[in-house]
Amino acid sequence: MNSFAAISSDASLSNASPSNVSPDVAPPLAARQLSLSYGRGSARRTVIDALDLELPAGQVTAIVGPNGCGKSTLLASLARLHVPDQGAVLLDGHDIQRLPAREMAQRLALLPQETHAPEGLTVAELIRFGRQPHQSLFKQWSRDDRRVVDEALAAADLHALADRPLDAMSGGQRQRAWIAMAIAQQTPLLLLDEPTSALDLGHQLEVFELIRDLAAAGKTLAMVVHDLVSACRFADYLVAMLDGRIVAAGRPSDVVTTALVRDLYGVECTLMQDPATGSPLLTNIRSARHSRG
Amino acid sequence: MKTRTLTPPACPMNRPDAGVTPPPGSWRLSWALGERDYSILIERRACFVCLGLLAALLAVSLLSLCLGTLTLSPREALAGVFGYGDPVSAFVVQELRLVRLAAGVATGAAFSLSGCLMQTLARNRLATPGIVGIDNGATAFAVASVVGLGTSLAPPPMALAGAATATAITFALANDVGTRGYRFIVTGIGVGAVFGALTQLLMARVAIDTANAAYPWTVGSLNARDGAALVWLWCGLAIGLVVACYLSRAMRILRFSDAVAQGLGYRVRACRYTALVVSVALAALAVAVAGPVGLVGLIGPEIARQLSSHRGVSLIASALSGAIVMVAADLVGRLLLAPIEVPVGIVTAIVGAPFLLWILLRPAPRFQS
Repeated sequence: MNSFAAISSDASLSNASPSNVSPDVAPPLAARQLSLSYGRGSARRTVIDALDLELPAGQVTAIVGPNGCGKSTLLASLARLHVPDQGAVLLDGHDIQRLPAREMAQRLALLPQETHAPEGLTVAELIRFGRQPHQSLFKQWSRDDRRVVDEALAAADLHALADRPLDAMSGGQRQRAWIAMAIAQQTPLLLLDEPTSALDLGHQLEVFELIRDLAAAGKTLAMVVHDLVSACRFADYLVAMLDGRIVAAGRPSDVVTTALVRDLYGVECTLMQDPATGSPLLTNIRSARHSRG
Repeated sequence: MKTRTLTPPACPMNRPDAGVTPPPGSWRLSWALGERDYSILIERRACFVCLGLLAALLAVSLLSLCLGTLTLSPREALAGVFGYGDPVSAFVVQELRLVRLAAGVATGAAFSLSGCLMQTLARNRLATPGIVGIDNGATAFAVASVVGLGTSLAPPPMALAGAATATAITFALANDVGTRGYRFIVTGIGVGAVFGALTQLLMARVAIDTANAAYPWTVGSLNARDGAALVWLWCGLAIGLVVACYLSRAMRILRFSDAVAQGLGYRVRACRYTALVVSVALAALAVAVAGPVGLVGLIGPEIARQLSSHRGVSLIASALSGAIVMVAADLVGRLLLAPIEVPVGIVTAIVGAPFLLWILLRPAPRFQS
């Protein structure tokens, strides 16, 4: 993690410097006054509203919030899937809208929520697609490609399943294969949109543990997570969004309060500390309307 | 810790990438130029499929040179191709059948390649130029040119203009292709119907002889081919095949969702638009030669897909399958009710319509999300 921070500090070219930038380490990925809206004319709806965000280097950031708060849109904007109305996303201090697509894919990998693969594609074949940003028409397969694909298979513990078609695998294994493809991209940054949605508890854990391993290996990760408790448990940095704005950001144990939970989800709860890990736990959840009377 | 690989030594005898094991099922061709290594991967199965299809195409072509009102033996037909043998068969082969064969091969390959590109870029197996009304647009404009309505342009440029117009209208109404491929198809069917009606209107309003001259354009036939249009088509096909080879890597990625493709560093919109332009141009040039035989664009890619592996998009195999289907359909049309000739468009429609139904009724997982 420290070695990575040292690598990314050469990005201090960032001249846009709001007050909250720590002077020593520039963030690998940051949003500055980012605004985005959908639709035209009277149907126009602001989804992200003048938002500032910095991903801490070498850590796992979780973005949480109620449905429709703009968290997935934010993640997509960070990966340049949307063009912002105003503001910018800075990758190592450079506006991502000006980066060539290929260069961007060498520095930032995205695992979107909706992933479907061509029928019959095997795990190893999927992971090989992750090498695309490093290949070209006349440089289609190198020793590096081969080594990195092997490493990605090993990192996601998929060696035994390498030749299995994706359709024939469990949800957790499939999700690990997609993450392995992102690993094969060899990017210092990885963004994941709800990587554990539609997975049961055991498979969720598989994926979250892989994400922790990647952070331990020095990557900077950000993920949109639906479940607040999992977010607290597996993220180093929590970003809570409401109506296109960030309402709280910081270490999970610092930012999660009963007031925040009420604001985000409209529920009352009792907060406890996980005796084993110290992360916040939500108990005794009830609708805020009823308890107010 | 991040490990960096050492920069490759400049010594050409010790190239780091020499002898890398390729992924299973592929051959790796590599060469060196100066200090840089180059490599391409060739999928074995795709290679075999293309060779097999090429052999089949040669067989069908030979058959089509041999059979007809005057039946020749393969030896006589080949002798005719190269200009010796008896003068009558040489004339039949060179002046009649060879040109017709060239038209059949080119239109079949163009329709099919065009269909495969459009299916891939719209992520839907129904999205072929024939279905989304591009053929109809090209036909309407070409017929307008034949009946001499307000223009002195020859059919090929008019067909191009018509195809471009139909595509532009479909695009404007459907609000882009891609994420909403279904909407693109439905809009295209509507636009195609309008152009089809326009063609009928044009035919109804001119003298019977002019309408007769324009008739082959509306059913699709290799009988009414025009020499200049055929040259245009072969040039377009040559360019289209080169661009298709270049696009084949991008086409593989376009089978994933847009977000995945973009995440892998592809400029999805640019890839789509390039493929779309090639697809529309090929369809238009083919219509200018043979009229709307667009169902070949549906059948050809499907045959290629059944034969090929899931790893890539079989553009070349599609072109070859399309050529085979076209030549075979034309041959059947010529022989079926001889001496009356059934236009090739009608033969492909008789075969293609049940095929279309089969695609609709069969669960279609390949392009669906």
